[in-house]
Amino acid sequence: MSNTALQEQVTLLELVDRVLNKGVVLSGDITLSVADVDLVYVGLRVLLSSVATLEEQNERVLAGRALP
Amino acid sequence: MIHVYGIVDELQELPPVAGVDGAPLERRRVDGVELVVSDGADTEVTQAAVLRHAEVVEGLMSRSGAVLPAQFGRPFGDDAELEAAIRPKAQKLERGLDRVRGCVEFGLRVAGESPSAASGTEYMQALLAQQRAVEPLERLARAVSANAYLVPVEKVDEFQEAVRRLQADHSELTIVCTGPWPPYSFGVEDA
Repeated sequence: MSNTALQEQVTLLELVDRVLNKGVVLSGDITLSVADVDLVYVGLRVLLSSVATLEEQNERVLAGRALP
Repeated sequence: MIHVYGIVDELQELPPVAGVDGAPLERRRVDGVELVVSDGADTEVTQAAVLRHAEVVEGLMSRSGAVLPAQFGRPFGDDAELEAAIRPKAQKLERGLDRVRGCVEFGLRVAGESPSAASGTEYMQALLAQQRAVEPLERLARAVSANAYLVPVEKVDEFQEAVRRLQADHSELTIVCTGPWPPYSFGVEDA
């Protein structure tokens, strides 16, 4: 995965995490199932561990470019 | 079902997009609190719906003085339900708007080499070192939540520069900074 693609994927997951799990809660009802939320967190964890793995492989190449 | 996108202040105009349910965006006012909603069918959690919600919130961000994004997936049956939920929270929501006014959010994920498990002390020292590394960022932020920084717009350049410096000084860490986002992580200060 290229670094740009990786940054895009992290951004997408961070976005989904925010929309589903953050934000003001205005009512007590929730229509989102717990499974959906867990899936988002698992996705983030897997992705972030792949960041770390990639970094080990590519040494500093990834880290130097991971910023906007 | 009424889907809420966010609480807004000084909204100039609605963004020119439809809501997650295909219904048009509408403005509602409850006890001085202004909300942007759409009133359509119940919405399933799909990537398209999530992205549309985010698009609307971004659109509100650029057209208003302040936005508190609402959490996706908590629709109201009708206006009476919506009003009953907002009324007791009106003051808290106003304070929440004041806190995020003029700010954007940045997400920061720091992945380090796993601290060696040789000893508990070394592990704690490695964690503390990571914590100390992000302190310069915390000084620039108005508030910090888990992995999120609320940064005044005029300090955004300084914040991004601080992130670059952090990465340069700590090549052992992988830092992924995302944003600027609407202040999703700073909805309301907890009571």
